[in-house]
Formats: sequence, C-alpha cells, structure tokens
Amino acid sequence: MGERTVVLGVIGADVHAVGLRILDYALRSAGFDVVNIGVLSSQEDFIKAAIESGARAILVSSLYGHAELDCRGFKEKLQEAGLENILLYIGGNLGIGQKNWEEVEKKFKELGFHRVYPPKTMPDEVIRDLKKDLGLEK
Amino acid sequence: MFIKNKKWDHKYFLNMREEVLNSWPTGREVDLKEAFLYLASLPKEKHTDYVLKEASQNGKTLLQPRAGVPILKDHIALLQYLQDEGGADILPTTIDSYTRQNRYKEAQLGIEESLKEGRYLLNGFPAVNYGVKACREIIESVKVPVEIRHGTPDARLLAEITLAAGFTSFEGGGITYNIPYAKDVPLENSILYWQYVDYLVGIYAQEGILINRESFGPLTGTLVPPSISIVIGIIEAILAAEQGVKSFSVGYGQCGNIIQDVASIKILDKLTKEYLASFGYYDVHLTTVLHHWMGGFPEDEAKAYAVISFGTIAGAISKVTKIIVKTPQEAIGIPTKEANASALKNTRQVLNMLENQNFIDEDKLSQEEYIIEREVRSILNRVYEIGEGDIAVGTVRAFSSGILDVPFAPSKYTYGRVMPVRDNEGAIRYFDFGNLPFDEEIKNFHKERLEERARFEKREVSFQMVLDDIYAISKGRLIGRPR
Repeated sequence: MGERTVVLGVIGADVHAVGLRILDYALRSAGFDVVNIGVLSSQEDFIKAAIESGARAILVSSLYGHAELDCRGFKEKLQEAGLENILLYIGGNLGIGQKNWEEVEKKFKELGFHRVYPPKTMPDEVIRDLKKDLGLEK
Repeated sequence: MFIKNKKWDHKYFLNMREEVLNSWPTGREVDLKEAFLYLASLPKEKHTDYVLKEASQNGKTLLQPRAGVPILKDHIALLQYLQDEGGADILPTTIDSYTRQNRYKEAQLGIEESLKEGRYLLNGFPAVNYGVKACREIIESVKVPVEIRHGTPDARLLAEITLAAGFTSFEGGGITYNIPYAKDVPLENSILYWQYVDYLVGIYAQEGILINRESFGPLTGTLVPPSISIVIGIIEAILAAEQGVKSFSVGYGQCGNIIQDVASIKILDKLTKEYLASFGYYDVHLTTVLHHWMGGFPEDEAKAYAVISFGTIAGAISKVTKIIVKTPQEAIGIPTKEANASALKNTRQVLNMLENQNFIDEDKLSQEEYIIEREVRSILNRVYEIGEGDIAVGTVRAFSSGILDVPFAPSKYTYGRVMPVRDNEGAIRYFDFGNLPFDEEIKNFHKERLEERARFEKREVSFQMVLDDIYAISKGRLIGRPR
C-alpha cells in the first residue's frame, strides 16, 4: 500500500451502507487504494486499519446523527497511535435537527477533522480535495 | 443448524427470558401478569390491531409518521402534536441507534448529555433505559396506538419492556432487522432472537391481547426489487405465525413506478395470505404497509412534497392499510414537528382526493403482477426445498448461497451479488440476478426491459447507471438519465 491508500468507514452504531459503497466505487475509479472497513466501525477500527495499511487519510462517514458522541476523543487516540499527521475527513448528516452548517463544521474541526462535508456532497468534490491535500495533483 | 420453524418449548423460552431480563436493570420491571392487566385496561382505540381491523373493514388507509427524541417529555409533546395537528392514526416511537445495537451504556450517556446540553445527541427514544414505567407515560398521554420502530437484530429486551408498557405494535424481524441493520450478526442468531419476540407476542395473544407485528419491507431502501421484499415479508409472516402471532403487517417501500408499486402491494397481500394458509396458519389478521420513498430525497421542500404525494398515489390505488409517511426535510435529517405534521396533512389530502378513483391500465398491471408473482414463487419454492421443508433453515441456507439476496446490504451474511437498475419507465429491474433462482422467461423479461432503456439512453447498462438511479430522485427525477 502506498501514497494513495485511504481508510473508509461508517463510525459508531450507524449502519448506512449505500453511500459508503458509492464512495468506495468512486475512490477506486479515481485511482485510490481503498480499505473499506464498513459500517458499525469504532475509532479503534479506523486506527487499526490505518496502521495496518499505512493509509494517508481516514474518511469517516456518519448519517444517523450521533457523530458528535462517536468522534469525541478520536484526535487524541490518533495521536497516541502515532497518526497525528494523518488526514482526517468526515461527511454526512452530522447533527440532529436543523442546525447552522457553520456551527457543525466548526465543532468537527475542533474535534480534529481537516475537512467536514455537508449532506449531498458528491464524491467528485471529496476526491478533488483529497488529491490536493495529499499533493497528488500534478 | 440450531433454528427451526417450530413453536418454542415454554421452558426453553423461560430459561432464555431470565438472561434477557437480567441484561439491563430495567428488565426487572417487567411483570407479565401485571402487563396483561394493564394492556387489557387500555381502551380499544389504543390497540393497533383493533384500529387496523376497523380501517380494513372500512377501506380506509391509516397514516403513521416517524418520530422519536431522547427526552421523555419532549417525545410526548412531539407525539401529541403529530396526533392533534397532523392527524396521525397510529403514532410511532423510533428507537435510537445505540439501543438498536444493545449499547445501553452509551444510550444512557446520550440521555444525560442531551438533558445537560438542551439538545438531542441521540437519534431516537432509548426505551430500554427509560423502562416500563416511564414508557407508560407515553401511552397514557396519547389517544391512538403507538408502534415501536427501530432496526434491532436482538430486540428481546426492548420487546419485553415496550410491550409491557402498552405499545401494541412492534416492527422488525429476524431478516429485515438484521440484513439492512447489522454487519456481522449471523442470520441464525437474529432469527432466533425474533422467534423470542414472536413467542412473547404469542403469550400475549393467549391472554386475548393482540399485539401487531410488522415486517420491515423496504430493507436497504435502495432500489430493492419488489420480489425480494415480498419473499422476505412472507417468510417473516410465517415465522411469526408459528410462534403464535395473530396480527401481522407486511411492508413495502415505494419504488416509484406506479404500476409496479400497485402490483407489488396487491401481490404482497395476496401471496402472504395464501402462503400463511398453505402452512396452516388460518387465524392471522394480515394487513399491508406502504413506506413512502426510502431512498435519497431532494433538499428542496417543494420537491420533497412532490415525492411524498406521488408515493401516496400508489397507496390510495392499492388500498394499502397503512402508509408510513416521509417528511419534506428527509434530505437534511430528523425533521421538525411542523414539517412532520405537514407531511401527514399532505398525504391525507392526496388520499382523500383519490378516494375510489382508479385509472390504472389493467393490462399493464396484470403483466406486472404476473412477473412479480412468478419471481416470488420461484424464490420461495427454492427456499422451502433447500430447507428440506423448514422455512427457517431454508432462509439461512438461501442467504448464504444467494438464492435470497438483498442489494446494498451491510451484512456480511448477504451474498451481495444482486444489482438492481430502473427500466425505461422507472420500474426497478434486475441488472445482475446473482444466484436468484429465476428461469429464462423471468430473466429475459428483465433483459428486454433494460435493453430498451440502454437503447433510449444510447449507453450500456452499467454500475454508473445504477449510481445515476440512486441519486435521481434527490436530483429531481425518477430515472437517472445520463448527465
């Protein structure tokens, strides 16, 4: 596994599988090596997969509204595991109820995420950012 | 294999029950004898089966919203609003996702944090943590029946607590609450857990208290071909009936082609009744449920209302017993109570205006019914065969070999080869049959329909076409035409 390896999964007690399947497909089509750990994944599952695969980015998906509780302490655990330099993205329905997106984005940036995507983001946008952030753009 | 479609031995149930009730402190609040008295004391209007019977006798379609918040008093206020302002006929209590995975400690933290922060950190009502007594406050605060809706592979404790609390309908099943809701729970286990729930419901039935059980027809909510959903509904009805369930609802998620939707609901009703009778279960009161579109919604509320109204049409024409209503804020997440009530009013208006209208092309309808019926019988007969006459054994074997398959399911106990796509009229067809046991007539029907679309769009049928279909409704149309 090399510089194009990313870990993909749905965090917490969330079982939304369809978007993950689509992202997996889109990332592979764009030339990434995808380690898809699936739904119902814990912080530890993400970290373990990232270490084992030598991934450069972790892409967290959450659609069910518990993301805030599920992501607390993630940044610290990544540091403990020596993954403080890994790129961390999250996307989905990240809060419950009608909330101001800027607030949601701010909250998740504080939790350690480099990029935070609202619902309905298309895979192309994430792939573009990922290539840029990983310095893969020629 | 340790499961069989055979009514449980009472001692076996009681032994397991000890373990279930001890798995969280509120389990000790359940006292069955007291629960029988409590349920018998509730007015008949709070009993789901009574309300369903009245509706089917009068040809009425009932409406039920989705709702569940983690704070008890807020949850009650929400339900009262949906009852009074929205005119809901049956109310829901949607359970949060930690409880669905039996993670009660995290659910407890979610309740405490929600109370502390004054906002909801859980996506539903954690009924196990609240326990019997608190749950009864819900039942006592509303005038209509309340159903528990969730997505729990192991809902034994949840059922014990909520049935004793007076919830008279309980959604789920060993297949429909495993395959779309879990990653690594063996089907044998979830079928066993749900036999427990059905056996418990059977005990209530012996006391004259009819609890309605409902199968979750939409499954993954993503382009599920009707025959798959119908087969699974029939299997769950049979499994429930064997354990003593007397009131059962089979469900179906709107696909979007009206002919296909009407045909599916009719076949779902007809074949479930037929199979129940052929297995010797003559006294099950069977009803049907339509779920408004379960896939991605447009963010624009006006467009979302159109999706909702459109879904109601198939419900009105097929005379479905109940519709589970979506809201104009589906795309954004959990809706406000106002949006939720508005969707109920929208649905009622469409239903009322379509009263006794039927404009469906009968030839097309019977052609669609014919193909769905043949598909359902092909799969079910094969499931029965490989189970050597036992439908539970057959189901486990069918899933492992792909004779039964569900598209886009997270469970690793799904074969995962079936791939659906829409035809040129928007009906959901099979692009890849996986290992479904279909003959050439059925396969050719699907192939021809898809070739028609491919010609029209001047492109091959491919996974890109499937992706376009998944996004289509949220982007303003039914069929994912090339961009």
